Amino acid sequence: MNLDQAMQAFFDEAFELLQQMEAILLDAESTQSDPELLNALFRTIHTIKGSAGLFALDDIVGFTHQVENVLDRLRGGELALTETLTSLLLRCHDHVKAMLQALASHGTAPDATLGHALLAELAGLSGQAGAATPGEPSAEATAAAAHQDWLLYLGFGPDVLRHGLDPASFLSYLATLGHIEQVIPLYSGLNAVSDYDPEQNYLQLALRFAGHCDLATLHDVFEFAREDSHILIAPLADAARQLADAGGALPEAELQQARQSWLALGMMEGGKVAHAADQGMAAKIETVAGTPPPGTGDPAASPVAASKKVKANERAGESRFLRVEAEKLDNLINLIGELVIAGAAGNLLAQQTGSTALQEWNQGVSGLIEQIRTGALSMRMVQVGEIFNRFPRVVRDVSKELGKEIELKISGADAELDKTMVEKLGDPLMHIVRNAMDHGIEGTELRRLRGKPAQGTVRLNAYHESGSIVIEISDDGGGLNREKILKKAIDRSLIAPDAQLADQEIYALIFEPGFSTADQITNISGRGVGMDVVRRSIEALRGIISIDSELEVGTVFRIRLPLTLAIIDGFMVQAGDAIFIVPLESIVECVELPEEQSGNNSCDHLNLRNELLPLLRLATFFELPHPTPPRQNVVILQLGDRKAGLVVDRLLGEFQTVIKPLGSMFRSLKPIGGSTILGNGQVALILDVNELVTHVINRDAVKYSLAADQAHLGSAQAKPQHMRQ
Amino acid sequence: MTALTLQRSQHGRSAATDEHEPDAGQFLTFQLGNETFAIDILCIREILEYEYLTEVPLMPDFIRGVMNLRGAVVPVIDLALRFHRPRTELGRRSCVVIIEVHDEDEDRLQLIGILVDAVNEVLAINSADIEAAPQFGSKLRTDFIAGMARLDQRFIVLLNVPRVLSIEEITLLSRLDEGGDSIAAGGCDDGIE
Repeated sequence: MNLDQAMQAFFDEAFELLQQMEAILLDAESTQSDPELLNALFRTIHTIKGSAGLFALDDIVGFTHQVENVLDRLRGGELALTETLTSLLLRCHDHVKAMLQALASHGTAPDATLGHALLAELAGLSGQAGAATPGEPSAEATAAAAHQDWLLYLGFGPDVLRHGLDPASFLSYLATLGHIEQVIPLYSGLNAVSDYDPEQNYLQLALRFAGHCDLATLHDVFEFAREDSHILIAPLADAARQLADAGGALPEAELQQARQSWLALGMMEGGKVAHAADQGMAAKIETVAGTPPPGTGDPAASPVAASKKVKANERAGESRFLRVEAEKLDNLINLIGELVIAGAAGNLLAQQTGSTALQEWNQGVSGLIEQIRTGALSMRMVQVGEIFNRFPRVVRDVSKELGKEIELKISGADAELDKTMVEKLGDPLMHIVRNAMDHGIEGTELRRLRGKPAQGTVRLNAYHESGSIVIEISDDGGGLNREKILKKAIDRSLIAPDAQLADQEIYALIFEPGFSTADQITNISGRGVGMDVVRRSIEALRGIISIDSELEVGTVFRIRLPLTLAIIDGFMVQAGDAIFIVPLESIVECVELPEEQSGNNSCDHLNLRNELLPLLRLATFFELPHPTPPRQNVVILQLGDRKAGLVVDRLLGEFQTVIKPLGSMFRSLKPIGGSTILGNGQVALILDVNELVTHVINRDAVKYSLAADQAHLGSAQAKPQHMRQ
Repeated sequence: MTALTLQRSQHGRSAATDEHEPDAGQFLTFQLGNETFAIDILCIREILEYEYLTEVPLMPDFIRGVMNLRGAVVPVIDLALRFHRPRTELGRRSCVVIIEVHDEDEDRLQLIGILVDAVNEVLAINSADIEAAPQFGSKLRTDFIAGMARLDQRFIVLLNVPRVLSIEEITLLSRLDEGGDSIAAGGCDDGIE
């Protein structure tokens, strides 16, 4: 997995969230009165904290955690959003932003003392002086260790390049922490040129480094490389002993290599160090390079070389990807849709004129249009794997943190999805997965007690189903506790104590803001923010989220996202005078309607190779004026695990459909999923077959129910109003 | 009433900035059956000849269908049906006036077409010539009326476009209509009157 890419995604998301936070704070007057906005404010910081935790950005987590606490109290109504607090929060926002920017450009982090000052102020304002910043400043103080010399041995493994790690980038980052005094390259693994594999790494480095940092900071630098490399770090004074201790951790040959190079860098074999010489050297270095102690000053104050590197890094990041405003791309795709339509009209004209040259030329243009269309669409489509790929690391880290053994299984990562949807799905999926790990999967002991394998499993699955994409997140954990949710909901007076709810409705209660059944608030989840964000984000994508759960067996979250992709393969049918488009994916086959069933009054099902197939007469259902034509056709639709037949007058064939939204006015019209423009400029409606059938089922359930029967019997005196309900 | 004065002052301001007569607004007058109505030209995008509409099933009658406006799909409303008058029949002078309405739900501009029998002219109307809506007698919901403009000894109705074409309300009506009878929609209207 490419971590750089994941980092980039994190930065993008974090900056977007910060922007949101700023906007809300700047509009503080209305925020005060709107609990919705206060919730949103809290969520921005909460999400940044959560994501930062994944990348082990402890400074950011530490800072945002305190800010989050204050925002939580603000949200709970314990604090008022005064003008002072608003401006303080804005300054906190700036600080988080500065920290993130420094990370994004590998620059120098902003002054930590500024952060502490802000936190102290926050604590003062929120009336929990001291308690809010337990021991952190003092921890930082010890962290700002004395200027010291270090010996490093970086035994990069053969696979680091393949994993997208560049040894040079570690060095340039290290250079921001202090000064690299000497580097010895080692390439003992490189023998004959004939064996040389350009993708393999043969390079190891030994270096001597001077700076104001502690061991943990240095280890953090090589965090990403740790997995397949041997990293040794020791203070110069103690190097020999530590090298001996580390003996078992790496192969003899490499140990030997490390020892030799460290000796060359000034390690004393006997453990004694020529102190005077060493310190004299350090002092000299400091005067020459003028290395600023870390934690002071902004990036501008760092050495010229470093800032140059920063700029180079920034530029490289810019050129790899082009961030384009989604609206521009939408406009382009709309235009291309127009072009396809215009091209079809041109073809028609060319055929009418009968000029061969013109027709040939038109063919050429059509081919180009087709290519442009495919290209433009592929810009939008990405594999859902792009989001799934961030989860292995999430699961690994979180399971470690929780002390649970959890395995992640991914399937269907190649299902394609609109780019905008993928971007917006990341957050909700993250929340669900983290919740599944934290609350879903039980502790090892409990799992054993319940007779399950000690290792829990979280599954991510994606598949296309009749024009929508379904994403499933399932775990084999404890399942949702129906009673506990009910009790909590009643306690919070979300529902009446005597309410009768179906299981699904009860599970849906966990999507209410601030609803959490976890007894403890942990770093990972339990504040009850996750799930309402999840539902909100999914609904914003016009999706549906549902939960299936069985106590002690597991939980499945199912997210169904509708077809909002810009272009689909459609199948044109005619009913009455109207033309409709059916998504091709949901069509199994087409058969002719037997003549004896063509009348409107005959029964509404068909024997399809001994299978009962319920029929839906489109023209009748839509109340279209239509004389029954001699021959009708049945389009057989696959809807999940069942089938249905759609009776239409004519089949008109396949059609590349550019989806145009119908606008909010038609939102309640669920059976119509959108519209498109045909080659002749007319508008045709796209059927949402799932909704269409659901609609019919609901209608029939009302029409042919006991209540309807009663109303029918008593219709002589009953009010017609009654029947409708 | 406060809404009305607000509306008027807005008209005044906008006209003063770009047009000659101070304190006057410009209005497009059009025919619906034998009645004349007027709407502020500031909310009009364009006027088109009637062309083919695609009917949308299961929607209230007054939504005549959707049309292709240079690639955008725009709903077209029969104002006569919306005002409980007989359905607009298509004739040689039938027009669709494309109007910009703010969609609160999605916070963006939504285009809506209104089908009218004919458009007449654009008039500059002085705010002094605009009277408040009468309590009754105009056979129209009072909240649809922004004011009555005095014009050559007669009055014409200035429509309150955001109310007449309220997307929220139309969506509500179409939801009621889902049950399959348009009485429900009519009943709602009467209830408001």
